[in-house]
Amino acid sequence: MNVLSCSINTLNGLYDLSGVEVGQHFYWKIGGFQVHGQVLITSWVVIAILLGSAALAVRNPQTIPTGGQNFFEYVLEFIRDVSKTQIGEEYGPWVPFIGTMFLFIFVSNWSGALLPWKIIQLPHGELAAPTNDINTTVALALLTSVAYFYAGLTKKGLSYFGKYIQPTPILLPINILEDFTKPLSLSFRLFGNILADELVVVVLVSLVPSVVPIPVMFLGLFTSGIQALIFATLAAAYIGESMEGHH
Amino acid sequence: MANMIMASSKTLITSPPTPKSTPTPIPSLTTLTPKFSFSIPPKTLTIATTIATTLAATPLPSLAEEFEKAQLFDFDLTLPIIAAEFLFLMFTLDKLYYSPLGNFMDKRDAEIKEKLSSVKDTSTEVKQLEEQAAAVMRAARAEISAALNKMKKETAAEVDAKLAEGRKKVEAELQEALGNLEKQKEETIKSLDSQIAALSQEIVNKVLPVQ
Repeated sequence: MNVLSCSINTLNGLYDLSGVEVGQHFYWKIGGFQVHGQVLITSWVVIAILLGSAALAVRNPQTIPTGGQNFFEYVLEFIRDVSKTQIGEEYGPWVPFIGTMFLFIFVSNWSGALLPWKIIQLPHGELAAPTNDINTTVALALLTSVAYFYAGLTKKGLSYFGKYIQPTPILLPINILEDFTKPLSLSFRLFGNILADELVVVVLVSLVPSVVPIPVMFLGLFTSGIQALIFATLAAAYIGESMEGHH
Repeated sequence: MANMIMASSKTLITSPPTPKSTPTPIPSLTTLTPKFSFSIPPKTLTIATTIATTLAATPLPSLAEEFEKAQLFDFDLTLPIIAAEFLFLMFTLDKLYYSPLGNFMDKRDAEIKEKLSSVKDTSTEVKQLEEQAAAVMRAARAEISAALNKMKKETAAEVDAKLAEGRKKVEAELQEALGNLEKQKEETIKSLDSQIAALSQEIVNKVLPVQ
């Protein structure tokens, strides 16, 4: 038993050294429900960054764009391009959804990689990217599900459900299953990527504090951007898929 | 990582928490490794078996305590709050960013297209203007040539008139001179006539003896 506790102590020591805090949450209580405070704080910061920069850049649009306006026009063109490619000609009403999906995830991911959240000490848990929490990714994925159901139902009415027996009625179970796997894969892909990325960086920093983690950090930035793009593109693809006419 | 996920399910964490700070003599690694040596002393063997059994029975009790609140898949009110925040962000960004800037960009695109097409229109305008210029040039040339012809005619007429005048003058002078000459001739003839009569009288007088 002595030996056991000793080995556990050394494990604890390693654990404290690496400083990885996974699944630790800074709980708030709201009306008897628990809330992850660190996620809400960082999400507010992300929302503030987005709204502030957008308001500042688009406040007074010029015919010949400069600086911030130019950047935001580029971003809008990019979002429109993604929506148009996936949804088709009727992409217009979906630009806010796809765009916000992309921007929120992108800024969240990059805030986790770039902003020094860890400087601010919390009583329990630590600040990290909002997409680091399963609640955020599942919320976004469920919103995507709602969005594509809404798109299909408004476009085609109840005949939207005809797609479940589309090629043959045999595929009905698989088609129904798809509605569950879509949000599941969306949320877990994002969650896993961001969490794993942050873990890799933290562990590497704890092992080799200089130089070595830098390439991994850049890789993290890259994956963060890619994940945001993938999430937005897939959301747009699902919406487009439910809107396209089947014969 | 596996431990953390395992610990995330609350039912697993039922083992009684062991006191964390148990003052234990730190055993060297050699006591931990005798499994791999051939001659196993019975005492260490029993230690090893107790380790194995306790490990199997309780999955690292103090670590479990450490991760008691470690919950990766912990769904709570955060989920709907984040969803609401997302919807709020979507509508606000739409009001603030997508719609105004999108409309602005569309308007600008339309303007640029309009300007481009109007530039194509001005090419016909330019052609028209060129034609106009050519017409003006032609008119000017015609005017100039007409003026030139007129002037040529005028000068020719003037010259003719002057020539005719000069000729007339010369003729008149010639006439006068001829008239004068005629007169002089007649006068001389007349004077000669009278002299002839006198001379012939003289000759007659000389030749014929006076009667």
